[in-house]
Amino acid sequence: MSKFHPLSAYENSASYKLLPFRFTALDEDRYVLTNMAGEYALLPRQDLYDFVRHRIEPGSTAFRTLKSRHFLMDDDSNVAIDLLSLKTRTKFERLSNFTGLHLFVVTLRCEHSCPYCQVSRQNIEHSEFDMSPETAERALDLVFRSPSPAIKIEFQGGEPLLNFPLIRHIVERATELNKVHNRDLGFVIATNLALVTDEILDFCRAQSIAISTSLDGPADLHNKNRPRPGGDSHQRAIAGIDRVRQALGRDQISAIMTTTTASLKRPREIIDEYVAHDFRGIFLRPLSPYGFAMKTKWYAAYKTPMWLDFYFDGLDYIIELNKAGVPFSEYYASVILTKMLTPFQPGYVDLSSPAGIGIGALVYNYDGDVYASDESRMLAEMGDKSFRLGNVHKDSYEDIILSPALLDPLEASFAASAPMCSTCAFEPYCGAEPVFHHATQGDPVGRKPISDFCNRNMAIFRGLITRMEADAETRHLFARWANR
Amino acid sequence: MVSNLASGASNGCREVCFAAGLYDLDAIKRAAYRFSDRVRVEIEPTETVVICRLHPLMAVSEADHLAIVSDFSIEVLDQDLRRTIAAETESVRNLILSIAFSKTGFGQ
Amino acid sequence: MLTLRNQGLRTLNTGAAGSPAVLRLSDDPQRPPVLRKSEGYISRGGPMPPGFAWYLLTDGEASDVPNDAPAIFLPPSYEYLRSGDVVRIAPARGAFSVLYRREARHNSFLLTERCNHYCLMCSQPPRNVNDNWIVDTLLEAIPLIDPDTVEIGFTGGEPTLLGERFLQLVRQCKSYLPNTALHILSNGRAFVNPQFAEQLAQIDHHDLMVGIPIYSDLSEVHDYVVQADGAFDETLRGILNLKRFNQRVEIRVVIHKQTYQRLPDLARFIARNLTFVDQVVLMGLEMTGFTKANLNDLWIDPLAYQPQLLDATRILADNRVKVSIYNHQLCITDRALWSYAKRSISDWKNEYMPECEGCSVRAECGGFFSSAKLRYSDHIKAIVIP
Repeated sequence: MSKFHPLSAYENSASYKLLPFRFTALDEDRYVLTNMAGEYALLPRQDLYDFVRHRIEPGSTAFRTLKSRHFLMDDDSNVAIDLLSLKTRTKFERLSNFTGLHLFVVTLRCEHSCPYCQVSRQNIEHSEFDMSPETAERALDLVFRSPSPAIKIEFQGGEPLLNFPLIRHIVERATELNKVHNRDLGFVIATNLALVTDEILDFCRAQSIAISTSLDGPADLHNKNRPRPGGDSHQRAIAGIDRVRQALGRDQISAIMTTTTASLKRPREIIDEYVAHDFRGIFLRPLSPYGFAMKTKWYAAYKTPMWLDFYFDGLDYIIELNKAGVPFSEYYASVILTKMLTPFQPGYVDLSSPAGIGIGALVYNYDGDVYASDESRMLAEMGDKSFRLGNVHKDSYEDIILSPALLDPLEASFAASAPMCSTCAFEPYCGAEPVFHHATQGDPVGRKPISDFCNRNMAIFRGLITRMEADAETRHLFARWANR
Repeated sequence: MVSNLASGASNGCREVCFAAGLYDLDAIKRAAYRFSDRVRVEIEPTETVVICRLHPLMAVSEADHLAIVSDFSIEVLDQDLRRTIAAETESVRNLILSIAFSKTGFGQ
Repeated sequence: MLTLRNQGLRTLNTGAAGSPAVLRLSDDPQRPPVLRKSEGYISRGGPMPPGFAWYLLTDGEASDVPNDAPAIFLPPSYEYLRSGDVVRIAPARGAFSVLYRREARHNSFLLTERCNHYCLMCSQPPRNVNDNWIVDTLLEAIPLIDPDTVEIGFTGGEPTLLGERFLQLVRQCKSYLPNTALHILSNGRAFVNPQFAEQLAQIDHHDLMVGIPIYSDLSEVHDYVVQADGAFDETLRGILNLKRFNQRVEIRVVIHKQTYQRLPDLARFIARNLTFVDQVVLMGLEMTGFTKANLNDLWIDPLAYQPQLLDATRILADNRVKVSIYNHQLCITDRALWSYAKRSISDWKNEYMPECEGCSVRAECGGFFSSAKLRYSDHIKAIVIP
């Protein structure tokens, strides 16, 4: 009919403008391009060059993909500006909530002696390594100075249950203070569960306290990693998990694994252990270079390529499980996938830029010292107090939060302005890791080409993208993980 | 224009030359930085070319060494492309950031 | 398919009542006299109770209308009228139209036939006429609608072209129908003006949703389907403004030959850029209006696009965007999508085809628009579950 115009009448794509983007090689043939909001597209190298030189054909598949995903703008439409602004804003919005995670080290005492432990182990009898009620009170005042609408208080140690009376006191006191502050207040205890009692569980149930415990894999692996008088750490952990589930509910307990050289050859068995004990997912963690690990042969044995084999073997096994109808997630991948596939920021402290130190988490040590992160505290235990921000008994909230010990590394390590990171396509998915780089290279920025953190993460980003691009079912699975 | 000159094997170094003025020195330096886990790059600008001497940081085979040199050349081109993109998109990037972080949210 | 309007009907005693009347109907001879004064009586034979403003008679009925009140003769196709229905009678042209049926699952009000789009598949082809009288009629009709009505709709043309009068209608709904949801179909472009979006928000309607079509992730394809340059940008900006002011927004997509291929890309675009929308509805093509004229450019057998529909639905579901599928028959819809398929065809519009004989899932399936007789899938087949 003459009153209807054809598609050609609406195509005003004679020329196009580039929208801001970065690119990095994915593999031999393809590059990953990412826009300001972290959306990605893949192009062969020649197409990338043609794209930048304004030579790709309007109407071609590449053109349409790049237009749809906001890598270019043509004369027909410029709403990409509004949408990119909104998406960029969304990515940064969480920052203004500020510190949500507050870790209380209620004691350094522990009855295990794990070789990789990043915390000083002290004999079980030494109660001068317990946090005092006065310290806890000062720390709670600082906690509520954070503007975050959601506050999570996590109890750590040593073994925190060795100072359960203080945990009880802090929970009750925080709840009382919260009547005024009115936040979404939650509690977690990170414990090996060997010492859990009915009294403790009753209290947790009444106060809706969640439990986080260690499960390194099948019994022989777990026990080797986590020696204990009696050599029964695994048995106690499993018994503890069952007991906690019964008392508090199935989802009130989560487990973390620690990776050691012994773990590296056995990812499937470790995952099977988690599946067998009814966990919905696992966090396949790297071994961190802090604490006793550095003093033992563990860290020397650890190498990034071996760990990556372990990680991808585990991830591929998990994907298989899902295809076989077993819903099970890998949590590190999920955090990254949220950044890759959604407009949101997962707010995961260890993969954030600006870094999660202070902004995401604060640690209140048994002696009142305040640290910018868990790793900052571990570094201090090794004799390096660079990331100690102050002390609850001596310093105000402003002294602590505005301390150069916090602000300088935050600024220096900010990925968008760091060498190599600033032009890296994966920057929207990555984080700044000032403490790690300080510990391994001596400065908060680090030289990324020799950074294990960088190499490890880039390999993971590439691995996730490659898998999504190769298989539609994996793509759907990853999108579900991203939106958990 | 990039030309590879096989240098003497006396110091295990390979040379790559880039036409002066065609490739920004900044792009070359950034490429050198990126490759700093594999090679130490000596950069010598002259009137006509910028000479880059790549010294491997650890023992590598001849084939690997050539691969590093080839990858390095490609990286220089890529760094150069990044500069082009940054220059071309600077103003729209600033516009997007200014809208994203404005107090009033979204203007028309 | 119900008849909703007629002209040239025979009337009686309309000398004194020349201007149009908007009336609620009653078929109750015991209707309290005080209410009769403003209502129309549905006569089904037998003595007529006095005191009504109008009498609706069937053809051939005796015409001894009490007190020589105005009356109109209706053909048998209006047998469905019941108490609580609202009608408009324009005596000058013997025109009769049913505005609202209390028993209908959904009542839609056309606010204007004017539109700033010219969609290839428009089911209500626009006319550039002065139809302001429609707003006057609706302002009168809204207070007569049963306040227990679950939901009503505003449609067109493009309702927001009415500007302030559009807002007035929304306010009227809020005032007189505080328990009734309001679903407005619009291209959303008027909300590119943030003041207009804010004014809508300020009405603070208790349960309002604006249903806005987006046909592609690419501006040129969307603009082509709606036949308006610049539509895509303005529609998206309008949506952003509506969301700035916390209004609920539904995205509607009609699937046809011009939109099916990039349906998964559109799903991805919505999930990434419009993640805050309240729901997305993916709709089958209606064979009315302009569709017939553009059939060659629009028709594709729904069975043929099931892969794209499945992918798009999964993408939205993965991203936790609420998605529904309307106007698709179950036998040509991928089994994995049945939980998303809603019985969406209004009860006065839906029909079944000969191929549906003996189908076990007929009750769950919405069937067809009666207009589908023109063209429907070659693969319709009864699903027999023993």
